[in-house]
Amino acid sequence: MKRIEFSSPEAQRIYDNYIRRSARILAILSDEDKEDCLMEINSHIYEFVEAHPHESEITRLLNALERLGEPEQTLREVIATKKIDQAVKTFNLKHLIQALALNFRNGIAYVVLSVMTLLLIAFPSLIVLKIVYPDDTGYFRGNGESNFGYIAVGHEGQTEMLGFWFIPMMLGFCAVFYAIIILCLALLRRK
Amino acid sequence: MNQEFQKNWDTQLKKGLLPFFVLKTLEQRECYGYELIQALKDAHGLETTESTMYPLLVRMMKEGLLVHKWVEQQSGIPRKYYRLTDEGKSSLLAMRTTLSQLLSDTITNETH
Repeated sequence: MKRIEFSSPEAQRIYDNYIRRSARILAILSDEDKEDCLMEINSHIYEFVEAHPHESEITRLLNALERLGEPEQTLREVIATKKIDQAVKTFNLKHLIQALALNFRNGIAYVVLSVMTLLLIAFPSLIVLKIVYPDDTGYFRGNGESNFGYIAVGHEGQTEMLGFWFIPMMLGFCAVFYAIIILCLALLRRK
Repeated sequence: MNQEFQKNWDTQLKKGLLPFFVLKTLEQRECYGYELIQALKDAHGLETTESTMYPLLVRMMKEGLLVHKWVEQQSGIPRKYYRLTDEGKSSLLAMRTTLSQLLSDTITNETH
């Protein structure tokens, strides 16, 4: 991105600071999206400053930035929207968690998806627990009831049904939940 | 007349109609962000800030109503031009029908 050159050092400092703040907030996005957003902010500042030649340079710049608003506020929705696209395109768990966190306040669907993501993280944890505490982790049946997961106490008299098949089963759950979450996100994005 | 109430109503109405006016303006020609904001002000008296416009443009692109392209400029700072997609044109047509129906019903009811 080509930096706008101002003749006043004060204007240059304010401009550089605004672009730096925006870049910091946009760092969560892919390089392509980040560059696209920064270029649009830069283009807007340039067009605004060029369109008001009768005012001083610093006044033009400050007016442009005032209309753009605080980057933290203005870019919030833009980032939330683009982050969902990135999560759906990349199938990356990190982007998925970030997208859900950014969109958590946008509706019940995202709350449900966030709970599913927590479960998605819980399944690998159960695999580790199965390896470390094989007798206390799994699917227990007996005494007229069933228990699932890591049960430290209270499964006396119950039999663990799955053995080490529990591990591939958890991996299968991970794959299914992940596919469902990505599918739901893609549907929400299209909605 | 309660001027404060009237002013708030005008603002809310214009805010609600902003996507319609964006589509209407882009139907006539491709625009970059700053140009679009000026066009809305000049043609429809709509005062909108960039902090409202850019998230709206992103939302409309997400909905498939708009697409964009970067066009290089002599200054070395390219402009991002927005244009309507076929889906955007269909949405504009549907919005026109709804508005026309709404206004027609309102005026008919008031004359009776």
